[in-house]
Amino acid sequence: MSVEAPGAARPAARRFAGPGGQREGRYRTPPAIRRRRAARRSAGYVLLVALSGVAVYPFVWMVLTSLRPRDTVFSGGFVPDQLTFGAYTRAWSLLDFPSHFMTSVVVTALTVVVVLALATLAGYSFAKLHFPGKQVIYVVLLSTLMLPATALILPLFLQMKNLGLLNTRQGLILVYIGVSLPFAMFLMRAFFETLPDELIQAARVDGAGEFRIFWRIMLPLAAPGVATVVVFQFLTTWNEFLLANTLLQNTALLPLQPHLFTVTRSQHATDWTLMCAALTMSVLPIVLVYVRMQKRFVAGLTLGATKY
Amino acid sequence: MTARARERAVGYLFVLPIVAFFVMFVGYPFLRAFYLSLTEWSGFATPHFVGLRNFHSLLDDPVFWKALRTTLLYTAVTTILQTTLPLLLAAFLNAGWRGSVVFRTLLFIPVVISFVVTALLWQLIYDPNFGSLNRVLHDVGLGALAHPWLADPSTVLPAIIVVSLWQSVGFFMLIFLAGLQGIDLTLYEAARIDGANVRQLFLKITVPMLRTVTGVVVLLNLINGLNAFDIIYVMTGGGPNRASEVLGTYLYKLAFGTESGATPAFGYATAISMVIFALCIVVTLTQLRIARRARIVG
Amino acid sequence: MVSRVTRRDVLRGGLLGAAALAAPGLLAACDKGTSSGGGGSSSGGKAKVRMWTWYTEQQEQWPKLIQEFQASHPNIVIENRIIDYDAYLPALQASVSAGDPPEIFGPHVLAITYGKNGIAADLKAELGEQFLADFFKSTRDEYSDSGKQYAIGWMAQTFGIFYDPAIFARAKVDVPETWDDLIRVSNQIKSSTGLLPCVLANNQGGVATDFVLPLITQAANNPQLVLDLDYGRNGARWDDPKVIEALTKTEELVKGGAFAPNMNGIDDEQAQRLLYTGKAAMFYSGSWTPQGFAANAKKPFLQRYKVMQTPAWTAGARHWCGNQAGAGLSVSAKSKNMDAALEFIKFLYEPVRYAKTMNDSNSMPSTQAVVDQVRDPIVKVMTSWLLNGNGAPHILFGKGSSGAATNAFTALLGGQSTPQKVAKTVQAEVEKARTR
Repeated sequence: MSVEAPGAARPAARRFAGPGGQREGRYRTPPAIRRRRAARRSAGYVLLVALSGVAVYPFVWMVLTSLRPRDTVFSGGFVPDQLTFGAYTRAWSLLDFPSHFMTSVVVTALTVVVVLALATLAGYSFAKLHFPGKQVIYVVLLSTLMLPATALILPLFLQMKNLGLLNTRQGLILVYIGVSLPFAMFLMRAFFETLPDELIQAARVDGAGEFRIFWRIMLPLAAPGVATVVVFQFLTTWNEFLLANTLLQNTALLPLQPHLFTVTRSQHATDWTLMCAALTMSVLPIVLVYVRMQKRFVAGLTLGATKY
Repeated sequence: MTARARERAVGYLFVLPIVAFFVMFVGYPFLRAFYLSLTEWSGFATPHFVGLRNFHSLLDDPVFWKALRTTLLYTAVTTILQTTLPLLLAAFLNAGWRGSVVFRTLLFIPVVISFVVTALLWQLIYDPNFGSLNRVLHDVGLGALAHPWLADPSTVLPAIIVVSLWQSVGFFMLIFLAGLQGIDLTLYEAARIDGANVRQLFLKITVPMLRTVTGVVVLLNLINGLNAFDIIYVMTGGGPNRASEVLGTYLYKLAFGTESGATPAFGYATAISMVIFALCIVVTLTQLRIARRARIVG
Repeated sequence: MVSRVTRRDVLRGGLLGAAALAAPGLLAACDKGTSSGGGGSSSGGKAKVRMWTWYTEQQEQWPKLIQEFQASHPNIVIENRIIDYDAYLPALQASVSAGDPPEIFGPHVLAITYGKNGIAADLKAELGEQFLADFFKSTRDEYSDSGKQYAIGWMAQTFGIFYDPAIFARAKVDVPETWDDLIRVSNQIKSSTGLLPCVLANNQGGVATDFVLPLITQAANNPQLVLDLDYGRNGARWDDPKVIEALTKTEELVKGGAFAPNMNGIDDEQAQRLLYTGKAAMFYSGSWTPQGFAANAKKPFLQRYKVMQTPAWTAGARHWCGNQAGAGLSVSAKSKNMDAALEFIKFLYEPVRYAKTMNDSNSMPSTQAVVDQVRDPIVKVMTSWLLNGNGAPHILFGKGSSGAATNAFTALLGGQSTPQKVAKTVQAEVEKARTR
C-alpha cells in the first residue's frame, strides 16, 4: 500500500487520479493531508479565476461598450445604466455587414482548407519520410516566417500585379495561403514527429500505400494538431487587414476586418460603440470554430489510453 | 521500385504543392526584398544600387543599436514567459475536472481579438487618468504603485510585455494541450504505482514527452519576438523617445512613416529586416541542431 | 510483400494538392464583375476617377457628392475609397511603386516628393493661379516647392487651447495672453480647484512637433526658420539660439506646472475626455477636436466650452499658431483621366458645396470664400486665425527631421532631457539621416 508523501499534496494531483476521483481504490488519505490539499487546490482555483478575469476583462468591456449609448462610453460605471442595440443596427447597415461578412467567410474558409491540406502533407513528409535535401527545403520554406511583413509588402504587391492578381479576392487568398503555409507546416511537422514510426513500418509491411498510411493512420492520430492549425489559421486569416487593404483596391471586395476599421476609426477619433458592436459580431465565428475544434482535443485518438 | 526510392518519391511529391506555392507567391518577393536591401529606394522609379552602404549606415546608427538591444531583451523575456506559463496552465487544465474547459475557453479569448483592438483596449487600461489599472490600484490601497505605464520609459516595456503575454498565453496553451494528448497515460499510472509525486510526474514524464512541442513553442516565440511590431506600434509607436523602439517599429517607420519624413527609405528599412532575418536563421538552425541531437540521444 | 507507390497514391496525393491549388479559382466567377484588374482607365466607356483618402470625417457626404457629380457628368465614374489611416500609406505607396496611383489621393507627407518625381501633378499649371489664390497661404506653402503646387488643402487645421470657462470662473482666472500667464493660470487652477490645468496629448509623440515648432516661430518671430530647419536650407541648424530659446521656454512650462502630468501617456481621445468630463481646464490641440466633442461629450459641455489662441511669446506679440493642412488632395500626373479628376476637384471646391461638406462634417475649410459660412462657432473662431496670417509650420517633411524632432521633444516634455541636449541630438540625427 503506497502512501503519498505529505509534501506532495497539490491541486494538480487530481489529474493523475483514477476516473473515480481520489477515493478510488486502495487507501484513504488522512484528513490533515486532505485539508491541506483542499487549501492548495482553492489557492490554485483563485489564481485561475484571477487569470481568467484578466484574460476576459477587455472582451467584456468591449461587449458592454457595444451596448451603451454613445456619450456614456467613458462616463458612468463599468456596467451601463442604459442598454441600447443602436450600435448593432448601425453596424449592420453602415458597414454593409452581410456582404463583407460573407467575403470573410469565403476567404477564410478557402484559406484554411488549402493550408490544412498542403501543410499536413508537407508536415508529414518532413517528419516521417526521408529524402535528400529535406532539411534544406524545410529551412527555406520556414524562412518565410522570419522576414517582417513590412519588408515583403511592396515586393508582394508588385508580384501580384505581374501575375494579374491584384485587386482580386483570388489573389488575396493565394497570398494568404502562401504566407500561412510555413507556420502550419511547422506545427504539423512537430505533431507528426511525436507519433511513433513503428506504426508506419507495420503498415508498410502490411502492404499499405504511402498516401493511405498518411490519410488513414497518421492524420487521424494528429487530430489535436490539425485542430490547432484550423483554429489558428482561421483566426489569423479572419483578423488580417494590412495585406487586404494593400492588395485589394475596391472597397466592395474587402473582408470584414479591414472594412470595419476604416469605417469606425478616423485619424483622430474612434466610434467606440460602433466598433465594439461590429467586433462583437465578427468574433462569433471564431468562437464557434474554437468550440467545435475543442472537442477534437478530447476526442483525439491516442494510443490505447482512456480519457475522462 | 525499391522501398527507399518509393519513400523518396512520395516525400518529394507531398512537399511539391507547398514548394510550388512558395516559389510562385513568396519566392520572388523574397528575392526582391534581399535585393532591395542593397539599394536606395523611395518606393517609386528604379531602386538605386548602393551595395553594402545601408549596412554600413546601420553600424553607425545609434537608433538601430538601441532598437536591437530592446528587441533582444523583449524577445528573451517574452520567450521565457510565453513558454513556461502556457505549459503550466496546459498541464493544470488538461485534467478532465469540472470547469477546466471553461477556464481553457476563457484564457483563449484574448487570442481571438485582433492586435489593433488589443492595443487599443490596453491603451485604455493603461491610461494614467481613467485607466482601469490605476483605478484598481487606488481602490485596493496600492495607489502608490500607479504609474503612467506607457509614458514612463522604465515601465513601458514591461507594460507591453504584459499585453503580449495576455494575447499569446491562450494560444501556446492550446499547442501544449494538443501535445499533451499524445502522452500515454499508462506512463503516469506506472509511475504513481512506483510512488512518484506530482512534481516528479510533471518533470520526469510530462516535460520530456513534450520536448518537440516545447521546441516548437520556443522557436515560435523567438521568431515572433524578433519580428515584434504590431502591438508596440499601435500602443506607443516606439516611444516615448525610443524607449520601446524595436527593430520592427523602426523599419516600418522608415518605410511608411515619420522616420525619414517625406522620402521613404525602403532600402535602408529592408536592410534592417535582413538583420532580423539573419537572427531568425541563427535561432532556427540552433534549435534544429539541438532537436536533432536530442532525438539521437533520447 | 513489396509495397509500391501505387498509381492510386500518386493520384490521391496529386488530386488533393491540385484541388487545393484550384480552389481559389472558385472565386474567380464571383469577382469577374467587380474587379477591373486594378487599372483605372475606363469602366464601360466612361472615364474612371479613383479617389483614395483616409477622410472618414466625410464618409457620409462622399456618396451624395459623387452621386450629384455623376448625374451632371455622365461620362465620368468616381470610385471613392476611404482607407483606414494606419493602412493608408502602405496601400498608397504600393500603388505608386507599381506605377498606377489613383487619380486623386491624399498625399500625406509625400506631396512634394511625389511632385518632384512626376507622380503628383503641378496644380498651378492644371487648375490655374486664380483657382489656387483662394486657398489659405499656409495650406499652399506646405505643398509647394520651387513655384509649383503639388497638392491643395482639403481640411485645414489650426491649433489653440480649448478650455472650460466654468472652471476658469471657479478659479477666478482669465484667458492667458502669454506663456508666463499660462503658468500662473495653471497653478491658480490647480490650487483653487484641484483639477488638471492644461493637457497635452503626447502619446506616440502626437503633439510634440505641433507644440514646439510654433514656439520656435514665436521665438524667431518668423516662420521661415522652421521651414529652413526642416530641409537644412540656408545653413539653419537645430542648435540655433532661437531654437534653444523655444526649447527652454518649453522646459519652463513643464517645470512650472503648466501642464497635466504624464503627457507622454495621454492620447488625443483620452485628453478630450479629460476636458469634457470636467477633470481638466484646458487642452492644447487642433481644430479636429470639436468633431470629437460633438460625438462624445454631453450637451452642457458642448454649449459652454470655448477656445483661445495659442499664447504669445510676450504681451502684445503675434499669436503664432500651428496651422497647416494635414489632409490635402493631389492629382496623379500620369493618369489618362486627369481632366476628369480635375473636373471633380473643381466640383468639390465650389464654394456653396464645399461649405456644406465642411459644415456637415464639422471640419475646417481651406479656402477663404467659405470662411464666413462656417457654422460651428468654435471652428469659426479657429478658422479666423488663418485669416490673420498667424500661421506657423508644425509638421516636418525633411529627411529624418520628423522622427528625430518628435522623439527628442518627447524626451524634453517628459523631463528626461535638456534643451541643449535636445538640439544637439536632433541636429546629429538629421545630419545622419540625410546621408542615407
